[in-house]
Amino acid sequence: MKIDLTFIWTAFLQILPAIPTTLVITLVSVLAGFVIGLLAALARIYKVPVLGQAASAYVTFIRGTPMLTHLLLIYFGLPVLLDALSAQFGWGFKSASIPMIGFAFISFSITAGAYMSEVIRSGLLAVDRGQLEAAYSVGMTTPQALRRIIFPQALSVSIPNLSNSVIGMLHGSTLAFTVSVVDINAKAQIVASTNWKFFEAYIAAALIFWGLTLLIERLTAVIEKRMNLYNRGGIV
Amino acid sequence: MIKLKNIHKSFGRQQVLKGIDLTVQKGEVVVILGPSGSGKTTLLRCVNYLEKPGDGEILIGDYHLNCRHAGKKEIHALRQKSAMVFQQYNLFRHKTAVENVMEGLLVVKKLSKEEAYRRSAELLEKVGLGSRLDAYPSQLSGGQQQRVGIARALALEPEVILFDEPTSALDPELVGEVLEVIRRIAAEGITMIVVTHEIGFARDVANHIVFMDGGVIVEEGSPAEVLSRPKEERTRQFLKRITPEPNYSI
Repeated sequence: MKIDLTFIWTAFLQILPAIPTTLVITLVSVLAGFVIGLLAALARIYKVPVLGQAASAYVTFIRGTPMLTHLLLIYFGLPVLLDALSAQFGWGFKSASIPMIGFAFISFSITAGAYMSEVIRSGLLAVDRGQLEAAYSVGMTTPQALRRIIFPQALSVSIPNLSNSVIGMLHGSTLAFTVSVVDINAKAQIVASTNWKFFEAYIAAALIFWGLTLLIERLTAVIEKRMNLYNRGGIV
Repeated sequence: MIKLKNIHKSFGRQQVLKGIDLTVQKGEVVVILGPSGSGKTTLLRCVNYLEKPGDGEILIGDYHLNCRHAGKKEIHALRQKSAMVFQQYNLFRHKTAVENVMEGLLVVKKLSKEEAYRRSAELLEKVGLGSRLDAYPSQLSGGQQQRVGIARALALEPEVILFDEPTSALDPELVGEVLEVIRRIAAEGITMIVVTHEIGFARDVANHIVFMDGGVIVEEGSPAEVLSRPKEERTRQFLKRITPEPNYSI
């Protein structure tokens, strides 16, 4: 077998335009997942009736099933549901108008939410109870204490794990090709299929993913350093 | 004035406080003594509702709370009347010394940043930390952290400051600096309730001593009465155990 090195470069250049798609999917699913995860974590920590149990069920179901399955369930299930509701209430909405990438956004956000809720929950539980008591003792309300005292500390503990989640979602976003979204990986396949140099095209894709991941790692290192300023002199 | 009436508290089946009545006059320093498990820390924590009493009434200044009808709002209002100094300091770990003191002023008292900073820096100066304003708790010794804790409590200008064994977690050589600060602010007429094992401190600083055991107040009175001429056998036993022998030698 011969490797066509120049084609790796050609493929590399042709794949570059697909980077924004991958990044947008990653960004949307991570941000929405963070919000979902935060709410789920709070519902479980505060043992909110109904919501707490629902959050637990959500986390165990989503973590117990593959990300590709979530995407397919949403892709085939959501249109049926929406069309039925639309017919029922006369919204005049057709599921065919949902762009393909929309399914990826929704399903990956749901996936990310479940994984991130565990990360956030462990971060929140890592903050000493005394911090909350001190916040109460200076007269703060629970939301004030959470926002100003607990969340910042929980976040700084969670950064390494959150960065893991982001990288996981970046790589997981390749599954979007199953619903015809052209991300980095799908673009590599398209580029290769014109001349059957799949290996070279996937090498190019791998390099791009690696580069993006390195970028995320660098970025987290900077954030982590800034957020953990207060731990100087500690064990960390 | 602070008045506690018939405070009850149970953890599950175990009754920790069995109907405590206590009155603290304005400007008074009350020291609560007692063996571990006597309920003294729990009582202190009930005053600002870090523990929720099962029954009883709490009066701080002009605020009255019946523990049977205490909702979120009432508890929040009660907490603004007091401040607490913790055994484990519990400084906000992600904030510097001066930010720790400012926090309550900004969020609860709604002062401007400049005003909050000015007052916080002043208070830290007063507890001898004028040069460590920008240090994080992890960069401070235990004694220094506790003095920041005291400044944080003072900043709120509460009706009463609650001290929960403020020197128990400190190295012996750091106890002195913290007690000295407490002594100084006591002299300024700030109302305090102090749970401690420092008998010497109690004798010097307290106006009123309360001895608790088994969830009840066994004996109370002036330091001279309780420490030098205890009426109850239980008090005598306790004092004998924790008072160091004179002329100790190894």
